[in-house]
This record gives sequence, structure tokens and C-alpha cells, in this order.
Amino acid sequence: MPEIVITGLGAVSPYGVGVAALWEGLLRGETAIAPLDLFDTSGHRTRIGGQVPEAPRGLERERDAAGRAERLSRTDRFAIDAAREALADAGFAQDAPELRRAGLFFGSSTGGMFEAERVLLADPTSALARRFSHVGGQVICAPAIALARDLALGGPVETVTSACSASTMALEAALMSLESGEVELAIAGGADALCELTYSGFNSLRAIDERPARPFRADREGLSIGEGSGMLVLETAAHARARGATVLAVLAGAGSSCDAYHMTAPHPEGKGAIQALERALGAADRGAVAFVNAHGTGTPHNDVAEAQALRAVLGERLADVAVTSTKGAVGHLLGACGALEAVVTVRGLVEGVVPQTPGDGPVDPEAGVALVLGAPARPAPCAAALSTNLAFGGANAALHLRAAGTEGA
Amino acid sequence: MSVVVTGLGVVGGFGAGEDALRAVLASGAPVTASIEDAGLALDGHSPRSQRASVVPKDALRPWLAPGKARRMSPASRLAVAGSVQAIEAAGLASEDVAGPETAVSLGTYFGSTSYTYKLLAQLRETGALSVSPLLFMETVANAHAGQIALMLGLEGPNYTISQREASGALAVARGVDLVRSGRAQRVIAGAADEASPIQHVVLDAYGALARPGAEGVQAARAFGREPTGVLLSEGAALWVLEDEAAARGRGANVRARVLALVRANDATATQTDWGDGAEHLGASLRARLEALDTPLDSIDRIVAGAAGARRGDALELRTLQAAFGDTPLPPLAAPKAATGAYGGGELGAALLALEGADWAPGLWFRAGSDGWAEPVQEAPRGPAERVLVSAVAAGGAACWIVLERADD
Repeated sequence: MPEIVITGLGAVSPYGVGVAALWEGLLRGETAIAPLDLFDTSGHRTRIGGQVPEAPRGLERERDAAGRAERLSRTDRFAIDAAREALADAGFAQDAPELRRAGLFFGSSTGGMFEAERVLLADPTSALARRFSHVGGQVICAPAIALARDLALGGPVETVTSACSASTMALEAALMSLESGEVELAIAGGADALCELTYSGFNSLRAIDERPARPFRADREGLSIGEGSGMLVLETAAHARARGATVLAVLAGAGSSCDAYHMTAPHPEGKGAIQALERALGAADRGAVAFVNAHGTGTPHNDVAEAQALRAVLGERLADVAVTSTKGAVGHLLGACGALEAVVTVRGLVEGVVPQTPGDGPVDPEAGVALVLGAPARPAPCAAALSTNLAFGGANAALHLRAAGTEGA
Repeated sequence: MSVVVTGLGVVGGFGAGEDALRAVLASGAPVTASIEDAGLALDGHSPRSQRASVVPKDALRPWLAPGKARRMSPASRLAVAGSVQAIEAAGLASEDVAGPETAVSLGTYFGSTSYTYKLLAQLRETGALSVSPLLFMETVANAHAGQIALMLGLEGPNYTISQREASGALAVARGVDLVRSGRAQRVIAGAADEASPIQHVVLDAYGALARPGAEGVQAARAFGREPTGVLLSEGAALWVLEDEAAARGRGANVRARVLALVRANDATATQTDWGDGAEHLGASLRARLEALDTPLDSIDRIVAGAAGARRGDALELRTLQAAFGDTPLPPLAAPKAATGAYGGGELGAALLALEGADWAPGLWFRAGSDGWAEPVQEAPRGPAERVLVSAVAAGGAACWIVLERADD
């Protein structure tokens, strides 16, 4: 089986555009979750979220073959910005011939729903409410199409829409295609924008905290929804070596599973999460895992179930493994969260640094994890990490990442 | 590792079950209803498309009890009923499939548009605090795959894939990958889509749907020189994919072997239309099949995704012509003219094409002398050796699956 490596990272997050903005924001330890102004929240139960501060580069227009104007949604722009950054980071020009054969494995939960809502939430008697041409382009896979078009990608293109595990599973799909020899180069990740559908929906489940999410804290009361994109360039190690690329990390394994337990609640003992983690780790040495970038939503049920799963897989060693949750800083990016968290995890392996989880208050003793608090942790050695996601519908996914230059089991 | 198909579940406007699918393919005429009778009329809108093909009332009852269906969106009901049917057809009991060795890989074009529209109407008319959590739960696109897993206790990987018209084929391809990579021993893979009033209105506004002609008859004709638009439909088509050794070990009826998968993208396509990248797609198909030691001249039938789409059918034909080059194009079927355009119409039909089911000649085409496809006078008879399933989506994605007979 060929080794699959990561050679480029890109991100758009509530800290701004770019991996540097994300990383610096995380290391500052200040949450980016704040009052939203993307849409009117006055009628909603809560008011806050992780909104990308800079407007995506306009709603660029182009003409499709039938002469209709095509709009790029916020999600499209997030994905394109992050993917361009990832490709540049990997040393590819935007018109690199390798892209003609590259695959795109993309995760999204709602695609261009924010833009579709402008029509579908409009007064039914208004002219805007009849502009269905603004709706038809905003399907779930629209961002992947826009991205594939932008980068002229000619290989497989696939949108995984498995809720909060979507982009982690997109990375798993990329791994499968790279390992099988279908492609040598893949761009994988995800994007989602805030929209009223998910904001009101999670509020209807009373899953959103009125304060910024506090993953694994004893007083946590729910998640914060965010938006953005994480994109990664993956390639076979041979392909990366042949072009002299710098390897950032190794995608050593990916696993997924389903709880088959409840549509919105995780299995209380983390049964499915355990399977996903075990599949991601395979025969690898559990003792090499230096940190975990947890799904850590901040909901009472998720964090305890996830901690149980981590304990089942890592054993009592979990007490010594640094655990962080990016969602405490930027919110829950839904279909994009796994990819953004993978970007953070890779950066952590490169730097040997694990960002802290913002907020205060004691860690929930029932979770019992070594949450990184106050300042970044610097585990030594920092050879391997896990990144987990536990989604709606019971879909779980996990990634096993190793630092560049380390040997597998 | 070899992956085989051991079960099929199908639901559509034609009814539920293989016999209903066989009947509609034999007749070649879709079962349609007026949009009012189909429950697709939307207040204040007058779409030009007047008919659609929707699942008959009570058709799902043998596989999904009304009490369990109550908390599901229409799309979830289709997905679950199709999956239960597929498991039964594969000769598997529920205790055989429950657990971590069975995965789900489901394609959906839109997710549940009916529930999404209802939730947004609640938001618009009665405010955010009135939004129903039950509605929200089923607006999430992976709800259908989650419901399958919940119903059958499937703890393996649970994928939902959405890539317009290629969603179902890509989900099957991902399912094959899950078995080949050892992530699952069997996968329920395919597609499920519901039809809804908002979907009908939006697709009609795009000019994507067939409309009544001058004589007042609405018909979707695939591969036509004058495209008609497609017939809106709903349904599900699910295959049970298994590791061949395991399937044979349990004495399963192996209906087909998945010989090759090819995925590619036409980057000239926009988010709402097909592109003009037939040469690239055709070359990708040809090159990959060569790499997988699957000669084009070993394929004796093609089941296409063509459904009457204005630019999609032409691109698919040009792509196949580019791939086959000097190799004669085998007979080409367009089952969606009978099953309707959504819900995996081509997947169920492809299995029946391999097995030699009787089809109406109007669903079969051959390469014409002028570069277009023309209808055949007589449908191919008897089983095929290898069938190429073709899905070329608006937006650029394409997926092809080569099935071969797997008789002992």
C-alpha cells in the first residue's frame, strides 16, 4: 500500500482567510465566536456564531453555456480560497498540468443554502421569491463543482454530505482512491457557510449554547455554529518525492462507522466512535498518539461519549494525551469541520504545538480528558495525532495523522 | 478483491420491486400522473411541465410499516424501503446484516427538498422559534442513510454522496471501494430521491423538465436531436454489494460482478449545466478501462443516464463515442425515459439489462450514421456479458461502472 502524504494546507475560518490567520488565532486562545451579522438573528433563540469576518471575494459572475449568469456562493468562495492556498502551499501553480488528473474529494452539509434562502425566505409575493434560477445552482455539490472548474480538475469529483463527518469522510475517500492507484494527487476538504436553515434547526434541537461553545467543560450547554473551509493536498509519497515536495504529515489511516443508535444523539458509550478510531489506527502504536483534536462540540452528550471512545481506544494513557477542540475557538463548521480540524492537526504536528481550547471553567470530570487550557501544549515527542468527528445520523469518522519523517507501525 | 452484486431493491413511479421495474422497461412507457394528482402542485405557480412519475401510495408498505415511516421524510422512506427490499432479495436476514461489517453508501441529488422547503416556510411564516426539530432532522442530507442504518442496525461506514445525476453511480463506486479496501464486507449502495413541489417548480424554471408539445403530450425522449427535457420522478435503487468470496461462501445468488470503476470530471461544466468536455471524459474512460484490463470491445451493452436533458444527453453520447473511438458502440439503453430521471433509474435497469430482461425497443439506441443516436427497431435479446453503466452529471462529474455476468 503506498504511503499517502499531505503537502499543502489551506483554510478560511472565523479568524479570517488563510492558515496563518487560523493558527495565530488559535494560539492567541481567544474565541472567534461572536454576535452574527450575516443574517438577522433577532428572531432566533441565540445570536452568536463563528462568522468569517472578511466578505468572500464578491459574488463573481460568469456565464454558463446557456447564457445564464452563475453566482458563486459564500461556500464556493470559501472552498476556492482555501484550495488555492493549499495548492500554493504544496508548490503547485494554479494551472499545473498534474491537476488535469487530480481528484477532488469534498465535504459539505448545505452547499449554497445561504444564497438559496435569500429566495426561499423572501416574501412570496415579491419578485425575488420567483428567482428560482438563484436556487437551482445552490445544490449541496455546487461548491465542489465551482472548485473543480476553478482548478480545472479532471479526475474524480465527489461530494460527501455526511453531516459533521462529511469532510473527514471526504479525506477517507481520498485516501481510498490514492491507495488504490486511481489517482496520485488529490485535493480534499470541505466548506460550509452559515445559513438560517441550520442555525434555526440546531436551535430547535436546543443544541446551541447562548454563550460561545465550551467543549469538555463542566458547564457546557451546547455548540456554536461556524463557517469556513479547510482544504488539503494529498499525494502518494512517491509522487511527492518525484516532484521534490515538502511533506507536512502522513495520512496514516482513516476510518468511519455508524452508531445505528439514534438520529441526533451519539451512542452513549461511543461505540461507533470506537470503531472509527480503531479503523483509523489499524495496527499502529497507540502509544505514539501525542494529541487528539476532538470533535468536541460542547454539547453535553457528545463530549462525554467521545471521551469514552477515546478512553476505550487509548486506555488510561488518555490522561496523558493532550486533547483540544478547535470548535471552542471557531465554532462548528458542520460539513467543513473535519477538514479544518485536520488542517489544525497537521499544523500541530509540524510545529509540535497543540492549541488550547478557549474559555474558562473546570473540565467535566465525567469526560476526564487532558484538555489543553490556557496556553498551547508542546507534547514531546509529537509524532502522531488523531482527529475525530461524530455526526448527525450516527456517522463517525476519524483520521490518524503522523508527523513527516516518522515511521508507521 | 472481487465485488459482486447479490441483491436489488427498486422503487419508483412504476411501483416497487423488480417485477414492477421489469414491467415498465418492457412497456417503455413511464407511469405518470398530473402534477396535481402527484401532489407536486405549488400554490401560486404554474409550471409548464404538467406530469411527473411519483411512487404510488402504499407501494412501500411491504418493506416499511406506516408507524416507522411517520417520522421519516419521503426520501428517507424510499431509501429505507429500497434497502430492506435489497437485503431480502440478497437472501439476507436482518441479523445477517446488523453490525459493523455492513456499510451504506447512498447517493442523493437533492436530499429532502420537501422537508427543507417546509422548514424554510416555518421560518418565513411563523418565525425561527417555531421550527420543528423533526423537520430539521430530515433536512440533513445524510438522514436517509442514517435511517437505513438505524432500521437495519448497520454499523459500518455510512456515506452519503451528492453529485447531481452521478450521485447514485458514485455512491455505488464508493461502496465498491469500501469492500475492496476491507472497510466493509457488504454495502447497501445506490440512490434515493424524492420529488417535491419546490423541486418541480425550480427544475421547471430552469427548463430542465419535459413539457407538453404542440399536440399536448408530454414525453421525455432520450438522445433526441431536439431535446425534450426530463421526466421528474422519485424512487430508489439499491444494490447489495459483497465480497465475492463471502457471497459465494453463503451460497448467495451472485447476479453480477463489478469489473471496473471509472470516475472523471469535465471542468468545463458550470454548476448548473453540462460542459463540452467529451474528449477529456472519453479519454479518461478509455484510459482507465485499458489500465484495468477491460477492453472496450468486451462490453456488449451500455445503460446510459440519458433522460432527455438538453445538453446532457449529447455530452454523454459524444463522450461514449470518444471513448470507443473505432470500436463499434454497443447498443445503448436509456431507461430513464421510462423510469424517470431521479432515484437511480439506471442502476436497477443495468442489472436487468445484464440478465437479458425484455425491454421495449424504444428505450434502445445505436450509433447513427450522422453521429447521433437513433432508436433501434428491436431491443437486444438475451443476457449480456458485460454492461457499462454510464452517468454523466451536470456540473462535470462522471462515473462509469462495468458489470459482468458472474455465473459459476
